[in-house]
Amino acid sequence: MKRFECLQAIAPLIDRELFVTTAGGATAEWNALRPSDGNIQVKTLGLCSSIGLRPCHRAFPSAKFSSSTATALLWMNLGSLATIGLHQPKNLIHICWDNQQYESSGGEPTVATAGKIDFAGVARNAGIQSSSAAATVDELKQAVIHALEPRRTAFHLGAHRSRPRRSPPLRYDELENKYRFIRYIEDSEGINILRVPMPASYLQK
Amino acid sequence: MGTVAGAQQILAGLKEAGIDLVSSVPDINMMQLINLLYEDKDIAHVPVGREEEGIGVCAGAHLGGKKTAMLMQNGGLLNSCNGLTTTALQFGVPILLLIYYAGDIGDNAFHMVGLVTEPVLQGLGIKYVMLRDPAKVKQDIGGAVVLANSSKRPVALLLTRAVL
Repeated sequence: MKRFECLQAIAPLIDRELFVTTAGGATAEWNALRPSDGNIQVKTLGLCSSIGLRPCHRAFPSAKFSSSTATALLWMNLGSLATIGLHQPKNLIHICWDNQQYESSGGEPTVATAGKIDFAGVARNAGIQSSSAAATVDELKQAVIHALEPRRTAFHLGAHRSRPRRSPPLRYDELENKYRFIRYIEDSEGINILRVPMPASYLQK
Repeated sequence: MGTVAGAQQILAGLKEAGIDLVSSVPDINMMQLINLLYEDKDIAHVPVGREEEGIGVCAGAHLGGKKTAMLMQNGGLLNSCNGLTTTALQFGVPILLLIYYAGDIGDNAFHMVGLVTEPVLQGLGIKYVMLRDPAKVKQDIGGAVVLANSSKRPVALLLTRAVL
């Protein structure tokens, strides 16, 4: 199956949810399919689910959070699965693409290439009970539907060997992406997050 | 393992500064503080497996308007350099870094980590203050949080044994 087709199948399921993607083709593909200020692209490899962990845990009880990474990046922060398993955020869906390559850096093989690692099994044994490996687009779609209702922590692995689909790059730099994302949360949750510090002279009046 | 009084002072400083969430990786010298964090009802405590993960957790909480701190040893600072650079600094995320200063003068272990700690913070462009006076702990925590939020960058406090 192809990642773009998977994302096409998932996109209609994602309504107001926040979506974190990592560096690489998945970000451009996702933003082409679901352009939204509720998307944020992470620059640190392996930190997608760590960034997604907290906001959905207590800060925004009503928000759902999805993160998309790849096996090579998950491997860089494999302990994140144990952290998710420990904290059990009820509305985090972690989607991992098993493309068996370092896609952005030239397609070199990864630890997943040998086929000896069962990432979904690792996630399950780290405490993420709803973990599965999808072999088809529909399997992945059904897994995401299952994770969305009711709220549960979930890890889903999508195997694919497709090349990234040519998609326009994200329009924003990190700062604009961050501020738009925060404004999106403010609107979604009806809360005020960004505050401009007042000068001391103003506060003294 | 630190003292209860030192840990209480730091926790009080964190509360006064409005810190909502602390992520941590333990060090024996911060044991009392971490024990207090586990029991505390006001500050969310998120233990993680590796320090860089904590930077991600703090960044995520910041996106939701939370004031955050990362508690770690200076060896963990070295582990988290990429996350600090490509997440905290690149996205402009304020985080209070509470770093136990292993390898400080008088410490017979971790001397190499101690020697590189300040140059690493300088290299990252992260403002830091060394805490040696228990009487100034709350004031310095408050000041560091104000600076982190106004500059939208991490600010570090190096915790010596004198304040723990």
